[in-house]
Amino acid sequence: MKQGTSQDPASRSTQFVPVEGNTETTSAEAMLVAAYLVMWALLIAFVGFGWRRQARVEARLDELEKAVGGSAEARRP
Amino acid sequence: MRKKSDTIFWALLALTALSFFVLIAFVFLRAPTAQPQAGGIAQKIFYFHVPAAYALYLCGTVGFFGAAAYLYKPSETRDAWARAGVECAVIFGLLVLTSGPLWAKKAWGVYWTWDPRLTTLMLNVLLYGAVMVLRAFAGTGDAERRFAAAFTVLGTLLLPVIHYAVKLWGGIHPTVVTQSGGGLHHPDMRTALTLGFVSMTFLAVVLLWWRARLALATSRLSAIEEIAAARGIGATS
Repeated sequence: MKQGTSQDPASRSTQFVPVEGNTETTSAEAMLVAAYLVMWALLIAFVGFGWRRQARVEARLDELEKAVGGSAEARRP
Repeated sequence: MRKKSDTIFWALLALTALSFFVLIAFVFLRAPTAQPQAGGIAQKIFYFHVPAAYALYLCGTVGFFGAAAYLYKPSETRDAWARAGVECAVIFGLLVLTSGPLWAKKAWGVYWTWDPRLTTLMLNVLLYGAVMVLRAFAGTGDAERRFAAAFTVLGTLLLPVIHYAVKLWGGIHPTVVTQSGGGLHHPDMRTALTLGFVSMTFLAVVLLWWRARLALATSRLSAIEEIAAARGIGATS
């Protein structure tokens, strides 16, 4: 292995030092937009799945109420 | 009577939509940007994050009273409120747990840290999540409902621990909202937070009401399915 190249273990960073100036790479705007999108997506998913479940439950309930009511009518002398 | 309650529900829903419209407009157009150490513009997540945590407390409390009342004297209505409280608490908990890390990445440099408040909040959401899983898979018998109610009561007892975790064990979570007036240094910041609390209260009430009605309809369906099965009517579709 050659000395002084990036392959050389001796050339690896062994410490980090602070530098002057703004080196921040995380965008605050991106975080803000992501947070709002994730929050709304969660809420919409919760309401959407609940809505579908409600429609299923109500349809089945109507169907069974009619069937049970109908059978009670039929059994009546 | 049912029509009147429907009207109130839709009116509440309209109020919720209106309050969120005002909140979003105010947060993005009027509320000032905070200092860079607080995340700069990402600090605006705060106006949804904190009210969502408050809504979690609100729904958890409703779930607690429903569950405690069910344990004292079981009824379908009490079980429905216990169920609705837990379901809504989980969704608000998820809103807090997803919005917080995105703000933290900017303000703290990391998405997650095992801070006492974050950890206890996550435990609470996991506990409520366990109650939801139990209700979904363990059947709808009285024993299962009692078990779920007991877990709900235990989960809600964690809420004061979450709230006081910062005072009890420290950590890096901010304590801006305090009883002594808080650390919001601009009137528009305080207005935005108040609007956030109002909007989330409306949203919590609407979601609780809706989920309680759904839970009641589900238990009515279970009861009628038993009657139908006893009479030999209608295979499940």
